[in-house]
Amino acid sequence: MLEVRDLTVAIEDKTILDRINLTLPEGELHVLLGPNGSGKSSLLATIMGLPPFTVTSGDIRFDGQPIQDLDLHERAQLGIGVAYQRPPSLDGVSLRSFAEALGAQDRLEAAAAALDLADFLNRDMNVGFSGGEIKRWEVLKLVLQDPRLLLFDEPESGVDLEHVIAVGDAIARVVRAPDQQGRICSGLVITHTGLVLNHVKADQAHIMKEGRIIHSGDPHALFSHIQTAGYTVPAA
Amino acid sequence: MVAASHGTPTPDLTNEERDILHDVGFEDLDNRAATAILADGRVKLVHSNDPGVEVLPLAEALRTYDFVQDLMFGLVDPDENEQIAMVAEHMHEPLGHFVWVKPGARVSLPVQTFTLLETPQGRQFTHDITLIDEGATVEMISGAAVPSGVHKGRHISIGECYMRKGSSCSSVTIEHWGAGMDVWSYGYTAMEDGARSQSTAIKMAPVAQDLSRDKLIMAAETSSVSQAIIFAGDGTERVIDTETHLVGPGARSEDVARMVSAGGTIVNNAHLVGKAAGTNGFLGCDGLKLTDRGAITAVPALQAEAEGAMLSHEASVGMIDSDKLNYLMSAGMDEDAARNLIVQGFLSLEDSAIPSGLRRRVVDMIAQAKSGGM
Repeated sequence: MLEVRDLTVAIEDKTILDRINLTLPEGELHVLLGPNGSGKSSLLATIMGLPPFTVTSGDIRFDGQPIQDLDLHERAQLGIGVAYQRPPSLDGVSLRSFAEALGAQDRLEAAAAALDLADFLNRDMNVGFSGGEIKRWEVLKLVLQDPRLLLFDEPESGVDLEHVIAVGDAIARVVRAPDQQGRICSGLVITHTGLVLNHVKADQAHIMKEGRIIHSGDPHALFSHIQTAGYTVPAA
Repeated sequence: MVAASHGTPTPDLTNEERDILHDVGFEDLDNRAATAILADGRVKLVHSNDPGVEVLPLAEALRTYDFVQDLMFGLVDPDENEQIAMVAEHMHEPLGHFVWVKPGARVSLPVQTFTLLETPQGRQFTHDITLIDEGATVEMISGAAVPSGVHKGRHISIGECYMRKGSSCSSVTIEHWGAGMDVWSYGYTAMEDGARSQSTAIKMAPVAQDLSRDKLIMAAETSSVSQAIIFAGDGTERVIDTETHLVGPGARSEDVARMVSAGGTIVNNAHLVGKAAGTNGFLGCDGLKLTDRGAITAVPALQAEAEGAMLSHEASVGMIDSDKLNYLMSAGMDEDAARNLIVQGFLSLEDSAIPSGLRRRVVDMIAQAKSGGM
């Protein structure tokens, strides 16, 4: 579903991501582990097409189609969606009006109830939300958008343990379910604490450091390694 | 003038008139407590379904009720300025509505009043008087409109509103003038002790020049919440002056203007005066620019004249935040759709003060204004 090949990304003249290679097959959920500033969020933003990142070499393919020259909304319309780590607040734009703008009002109420956000439908997006509410809303936002490739940027940051479990379970549920057309989805989740690892049921993990993916492998084995040896390449 | 009899379901309106009035809030007579429609130089229709509301052409009201003579130019001097003097001089036979909500009336359906300018290059001078009597409660919807073929003309209006003790009024006003028109509107309101007002003014459609000047005098323990939703595309120049005088102890006001420029200019001068102890007032002036063209000027002014007058303001003017735009576009909206949603949110169109039926129409107006379709 997602193929990132030799991707190098810069902000102005500064290289942020260096020759990234990543394959995310259909139906799989991967996690990106790495310290703060390692380039995890930059990679997600680059896949999504968010500024200010410029692809200087390599390519990104979604279902075999190069997407790095597509606009942000075109990538979203192809089936890529991202849950923000720190989304902006939109005064006056309710969850309901957002859903209506996406043509997703029919499934809003049930999806909101499943994420314990049934009372939020007339609230303005991210205005006065707690950390946990923001994370659950970001998951709900993706349910409304209905992408096939779901990107999650630090879904456990700023959230208490109870909400980590709820958000992690919700991510697993949403990624593992087919989209509205019955197609299989995939997910890529960023974490630097690993707290969501037990809940998202990842198929594979990747360690990012200093703008590069330095290792890929079994999620739990890698996380155990990180806890003892830090973000290093495990011995063979 | 057609004085529709009690219970008449359909006004004497052409289909085009009904369509253009519908865009500014008109509903069938059965859905309204009372209706008054003025077209060009005549009052075309007055009608009431509710014994608590009387609507008359102003000229007839002056002949019918002596006290109306005292209400006319009771809140504004006929020589206040050149435009008002022009209205005063031209109105040998006064043209306008008189709406009287009777003492203690609890009017369940809205009262609607409209002004049409149907003659190209027409010159229209009107004077409306509203009396909401002691203890009465009413909802009012007012609109102004032109047929699609009328681009140029001039409209000058004076409105005087008297809110007697303990009365309550919520109102929505929507203006949809012609793109090349010059419009001057002067509104004066006096609120007696304990009166409560909630008002929304919507100025979305293009107009060449729109100058409005509103003055509100508030007696003891009165409450006023007002919001203005203002849009200016290329070629539109709006100047909105408001004065709120908190005269009586305990008077409270909140006055918020949300302005969007898509190439036009908007100047908002808001003046809040606290003249008594225990008064509380707030001015909010927020502007959103959609292009590099045009300008928004927000000038909130506070004037405290008594100890214990608590006055405050907030003002901001800026462009659409690119982070918000990207956030919505990352969910699949194209740029226009994302901008429209942000603008609608900025204008607080979900505010409960705007009747739900009107909200959809205003949303459509925003979309048309953005695409240059109006």
